[in-house]
Amino acid sequence: MKNLIKILPLVSILLLQSCATIVSGSRQTVKFNSIPAAATVFINEVEVGKTPVEKDLKRNQNYQVLIKMDGYKTYETTLSKKFNEWYIGNIVFGGIIGLVVDPITGAMYKLTPKELTARLANDNSDVVFKDGGKDIHISVSLNIDPEWEKVGQLEKAE
Amino acid sequence: MKKLFILMLIGLVSCSPKIKSDFSNPQPKLSIEQDVALLDIEHNLPDNILKIGSLKFQDSGFSTDCSFNSLLNQARLTAREKGANIVKVVAKKKPDLWSSCYRLDIDLYKFEGDVSSLPQYKLTLD
Repeated sequence: MKNLIKILPLVSILLLQSCATIVSGSRQTVKFNSIPAAATVFINEVEVGKTPVEKDLKRNQNYQVLIKMDGYKTYETTLSKKFNEWYIGNIVFGGIIGLVVDPITGAMYKLTPKELTARLANDNSDVVFKDGGKDIHISVSLNIDPEWEKVGQLEKAE
Repeated sequence: MKKLFILMLIGLVSCSPKIKSDFSNPQPKLSIEQDVALLDIEHNLPDNILKIGSLKFQDSGFSTDCSFNSLLNQARLTAREKGANIVKVVAKKKPDLWSSCYRLDIDLYKFEGDVSSLPQYKLTLD
């Protein structure tokens, strides 16, 4: 029992290390949506699928995102790695191990599409973004490419 | 406490790889729509190319964002900035006992032909 009392604080300290890695994980889910749907999403010029689509991305990198669809202007943004506040938990709990482990796993970062708000202000693009804690949701309403000429309109059959 | 803050600061500022660059012949910037070919060691360069410069990715000691795909993506971004459409890996050290990072020597070239037709490395997400 005496040993248990001695060991328990040590085990607790070890278990409380790497706060950000435990709470956030090394990857972050990013969900893409667009209006109209079925636009192609490219991350770092790698095609990941058509909207709606989601992808688990490593937190320790920046990513260039392109959402493309014929007849619409290509939407371009960057997902940047920003500081994850959970990393401070290592200091609060006195975790030296966490200070090292969290940067290695990438958990000391969180991905943030910061440019999206700037873009909204600049050209009125209809872009919404929700940071759901662990996940990011990005929904883009694509603008029609002005170089395309409208030649007809489909109508609903009766 | 002071040491902890210093450790945190080191973690924050030094997780990117160390990059040395030399651009002898920069060209007008390329758009995102223009393809950039990524040629690994085994891929051959085409004829009639213009050398734009070179990049050297090293381990800063605290680098974590240093996978092969990530470094090639960073090289491609630099290539577009400097007007190059070929990223050629000329030397590659894989992660080993001394470093958890890829270390690459890269040359950047401008090719007037269609780079998409060249045999090349296909980048993936980590």
